[in-house]
Amino acid sequence: MKRILTVDDSASVRQMVSFTLQKAGYEVTEAVDGKDGLAKIGSGKFDLIITDLNMPNVDGIQLITAVRKLPGYSFVPILMLSTESQAEKKDEGRKAGATGWIVKPFNADQLIAVVQKLVK
Amino acid sequence: MGMTLNSTATSTLEKAGDDLHWLLKTTEGAISGLVASFQGLAEHADSILALAAAIVDRVENERVSSVLSSVHALGAAAKGFVDDRLKATAEILDTVTAELELLHKLSMVTDGQAKVAAQIKMLNVHTKIEVAHLGAVGASFEYLARELADFSMTLARNTEELIRHTNERRAETERTKLMVSVELPHLTEELARIEGNLSDDLTALQSGLTRLSKTPVQFRASAEEIAGQIAGVVVAVQGHDITRQQIEHVQAALESIAQGMANEATLTNGGLREAAANHAGLAIQIFQLMAIRATIAEWTSQVRQCMSGILRISASELVEIGPLVLEQERAMLAQLSHIELLERECLANSERLRGTLEGISNLSVLVTEHLQNAKSARNRLRMLNFNSVIEASRLGAQADTICVIADGIAEVSVEWSNITEQSGSALREILSLSKRIGQGMETFSKSGNEDLAKSQAQMKIELENLRNASTFAVTQSHKIGNETDAMQIMNAEVGRTSDQLDACYARIDAVLRDLQDAKSQIESDYPGIAEHYDCEAIEKAYSASYTTAAERDVLRAALHGTEMPDTQQSFIGNDVELF
Repeated sequence: MKRILTVDDSASVRQMVSFTLQKAGYEVTEAVDGKDGLAKIGSGKFDLIITDLNMPNVDGIQLITAVRKLPGYSFVPILMLSTESQAEKKDEGRKAGATGWIVKPFNADQLIAVVQKLVK
Repeated sequence: MGMTLNSTATSTLEKAGDDLHWLLKTTEGAISGLVASFQGLAEHADSILALAAAIVDRVENERVSSVLSSVHALGAAAKGFVDDRLKATAEILDTVTAELELLHKLSMVTDGQAKVAAQIKMLNVHTKIEVAHLGAVGASFEYLARELADFSMTLARNTEELIRHTNERRAETERTKLMVSVELPHLTEELARIEGNLSDDLTALQSGLTRLSKTPVQFRASAEEIAGQIAGVVVAVQGHDITRQQIEHVQAALESIAQGMANEATLTNGGLREAAANHAGLAIQIFQLMAIRATIAEWTSQVRQCMSGILRISASELVEIGPLVLEQERAMLAQLSHIELLERECLANSERLRGTLEGISNLSVLVTEHLQNAKSARNRLRMLNFNSVIEASRLGAQADTICVIADGIAEVSVEWSNITEQSGSALREILSLSKRIGQGMETFSKSGNEDLAKSQAQMKIELENLRNASTFAVTQSHKIGNETDAMQIMNAEVGRTSDQLDACYARIDAVLRDLQDAKSQIESDYPGIAEHYDCEAIEKAYSASYTTAAERDVLRAALHGTEMPDTQQSFIGNDVELF
């Protein structure tokens, strides 16, 4: 079973991501912020990461930057899930190494479709 | 602004900030409960979908939809069966009526026969007198007297027997006619009723099976609809998170404005620039809260709507699939029972009519025997006549009376020939009636029920299939019922949580009133304060913390005094943009 990490400081968003992807047959691990996310990544391999942008401790951009430096994570897809829709922010995410961007709220079917495409 | 007023406004803003803090804290727990209920509902909906899918599969595997053609065939066969029997019963009534007429004719024959018997008896008496009168010469006529006596007795016996049988048969035929004429309308009515029931059963079955054949499509539509409602809740819950962030931004802004007001009070130059910044800040927060209030109302309503949508589809549309299968089984069983009842009615009727046929057969045997006897009697009469004429001519003038007797015998012989002729005609009619009744009875015979029997056998196989599907559907439906019961409880919880959330969010209205008061206070201290806004600096200061386009749009509307933008969230959700 493919493993996905969802990082968000909002419990309800984490629950919605987990709910959606678990229903689609993925194993989902939740992290409450970037710092927690990095710790979880350190303890197991993930096939895809979905992260929020604005979070306490380590934010989304910092998380992506750190993850890309980890061995075996250069090509692991990372999706940003944020309320931000500004082009500059998206560009910042892309430069940090994000694979894609989703403006909250996400559409469950479309999220599943993209995850299926990215995690084969 | 005066120091006292400023301190009042500051504490108002602090209170508003505290209210918002309370709001965020309180709603967090409620949202968590709501999400848990939603996940529970979704799990139950999944279970229901799995149960309903199993019913639909079973219905398809048992080829329940093919039942319809068998039902049609059975309906047609039953209708043919009823029509044939009604026709045959009417035919039998006609035959029985004809038989009564025939019996009347037979009565006339027996009357004539009785008359002939009496005449022969009379001739016998005359012969005996004449034999006594002739003495030794007439000894040869004693034989004639004995023959006539014997013949008269036999004829009287035969006649009596025929009269008795004819009377018995008439009584029986009248009873049969009465029964058939009374029963025919009753039977017609009864068969029409059964036929009506069959037609109703057929209509119900047809409608039910048509509905049943649509269940796979209905099931898929329901599954899609449930998926849509679930996706709607997923989006709405995220909507909550967005408004939570926005409320946090307002809360932070209020703290900053309260701080600004406190600073403004310490300024000696009147603080117009600071007052304008604070006023603008309040105007922005009022707009933001108004937009948030509207969005919250939308997503809470979306949650309620979607949750009750999940329950509605699960509890009504999907739950109906099981009973629908059961309903078909019952309708089909009812149809078969009605047909069996119809068969029983017809068999009982045919048993009664078979009695009529047997009666006619007995009568035909009796009349055949009688005809045979009548022919023998006719020959015997001719012989008696012949012998008496020869003997009379031998005696010459002495036997004149005997000649009269011989003439009498000749007359009786002619009369008897007529009676024989009438008996023959009656026999032919009886045989014809017997043939007609036989044809009618053939309709009631088992070979005539072949089509119906074949359709019934096919229907029984189909019923067995449907019964299997139905038994399975009942079990599944029971489980679906349990799932929906659990969902009802959860939905009630969702309703309570949503009410609680609505009550919490109503607190925003109080905060809005407080902010409006503080803003009005600044306006009264600084008339035309909005004209002193440094829009660029204010936008830069506030938008830095904003994370949504909606917040930025609302900010600009508040600053420039334009209409509140449409900040309604999309409940479809956003797509993924891949880099």
